[in-house]
Amino acid sequence: MSREFRTALPFLLPLVFVVSVFMLFPVIGTFWMSLWQDVSFLPRKFVGLSHYLRLFRDTGFWQSAAFTLLFTFVSVAVETMLGLFMALLVNEQFRFRGLMRAVMLLPWAIPSVIGARIWQLIYRYDYGLANYVLQKISGKVVNWLGSSTGAFLSLIIADVWRTTPFVAIILLAGLQVIPDEIYRQAKVDGATLFQRFFRITLPLLKPILIVAVLFRTIDALRVFDIIYVITGGGPGGATTSLSLYGYKYFLLGDFGYGSAISISLFLLALFIALLYIKTGRFKEAVL
Amino acid sequence: MREEAIKRFLLVTGVIWLLIFSLIPFLWMVIISFSSSPDFLVRGEGSFTLKNYIDIITIKTLHFPDYLKNSGIIAGLSALFATIIGAFAGYAVSRFRFRGRLPLIMCVLGLSMFPQISMVGYLYRMMSMLGWINTYPALILPYTAWGLPLALWMLLSYFSQIPQEIDRAALVDGASRLQILRKIILPLALPGLVSTYLLLFIFSFNEFLFALMLTTDHHARTVPVGIALFQGLHGELPWGYIMAASTISSLPVVLIVLFFQRYIIQGLTGGAVK
Repeated sequence: MSREFRTALPFLLPLVFVVSVFMLFPVIGTFWMSLWQDVSFLPRKFVGLSHYLRLFRDTGFWQSAAFTLLFTFVSVAVETMLGLFMALLVNEQFRFRGLMRAVMLLPWAIPSVIGARIWQLIYRYDYGLANYVLQKISGKVVNWLGSSTGAFLSLIIADVWRTTPFVAIILLAGLQVIPDEIYRQAKVDGATLFQRFFRITLPLLKPILIVAVLFRTIDALRVFDIIYVITGGGPGGATTSLSLYGYKYFLLGDFGYGSAISISLFLLALFIALLYIKTGRFKEAVL
Repeated sequence: MREEAIKRFLLVTGVIWLLIFSLIPFLWMVIISFSSSPDFLVRGEGSFTLKNYIDIITIKTLHFPDYLKNSGIIAGLSALFATIIGAFAGYAVSRFRFRGRLPLIMCVLGLSMFPQISMVGYLYRMMSMLGWINTYPALILPYTAWGLPLALWMLLSYFSQIPQEIDRAALVDGASRLQILRKIILPLALPGLVSTYLLLFIFSFNEFLFALMLTTDHHARTVPVGIALFQGLHGELPWGYIMAASTISSLPVVLIVLFFQRYIIQGLTGGAVK
């Protein structure tokens, strides 16, 4: 043990202890629980990997896995594009820019449950704001939460509203380290606004763009709060994310199978994260 | 010149879009919270009222003041613990070049990507065994852990900006490492500590899944769970109450964002945004 390490150790121990006991250990514990039959009112029994075999035959599991992946793909794609636009916007010099940045942050900063409740009310079929406005404009209304496509779209809009600011903040950091000098030179050389964006901004932003997409992807995969509130996973299980599917088994008292579902989400997130880190130059961008 | 016009046009439409997109749901929340009926748009009638606010504060069985108190204490304490523990670790990582330093940072940051659901099953068992279900520690401890990756990331970038010569000079003068941290580093990094604390507070204040699983009633239930589980007497959701509760609960967060916007963005981006 080096001397440096021995001096550092007492400063690091509290962090290592708390993080191990309340994050690392619970994941290992949940994996352990997934190997047991652990249902209320039944004796506990070691069942090995049989819960994972059951997952393969469980159509509900595949349905929620498919929904989770589709939700992640669509929401991250939309949020990245809008977030880039938002970041470019608040990177410009204009009056009240600070206030604009604060306004931009608000949807992301308030509790997700509150945002979800507001959208749930807006989507109401009979007296929601969305249908009221649609009725005035087009004379038609949409059954937002009653059909599976409508429910999917509703969740995407609510999620985009809430998390686009996060993407924008990350990208704003990337925009700020691009030297003005490059833009000035490009202007002198006669590059147009759009050329400057596609030839300078976008390529230089790529490393941080990968980081933002990774963070958002991992976060979208575990989506729970807004679905719990807005659709409850319905209609007919069409919007049940993996987190919600696992939670429903916990709620039923089936901790073994619920744990197996939760661990498979964990493995899915880990797999996707490793994929990004292998392909993107993630480490260079972070450190 | 034409280009300037395009840019100006994009900027103005962008700002208008951003304002509408971000603020309309908030306005709707506030409007419903002050209206006597949530369906006034289609009914064509409805009036201004304070009843929703008075009710959620005074009707004991709704327990909204309890939720607010629980949330304040739980978020306040867990943010405090995470900031303190994070400051110790951030100091060590920014000052000592030991082996395994980078892997440690990467591991701790990686932990923040774990899905909450993959921890909550075992946390539930753990807290049941300890008899802590529906108590403050059941949430404060996991929230402290949950906030630590962010705390380490933010404080590390603040501490790294403080030159190490200061430490060396103080060591020569006979100060201990602990004294250096307390008397020199922490005061110098005060803005960083404040923004770390505020962000951690917001995160803990907003958390939902742990609170949903690990609490059972108003003794420890937090605001998000309270708002998500608000039930009306006859099955119909009490929208006026929900929106009044949401407005009150958003207020602290909105104030933090309005006053500390710059520090929050700087903290999240490791100081890259000026």
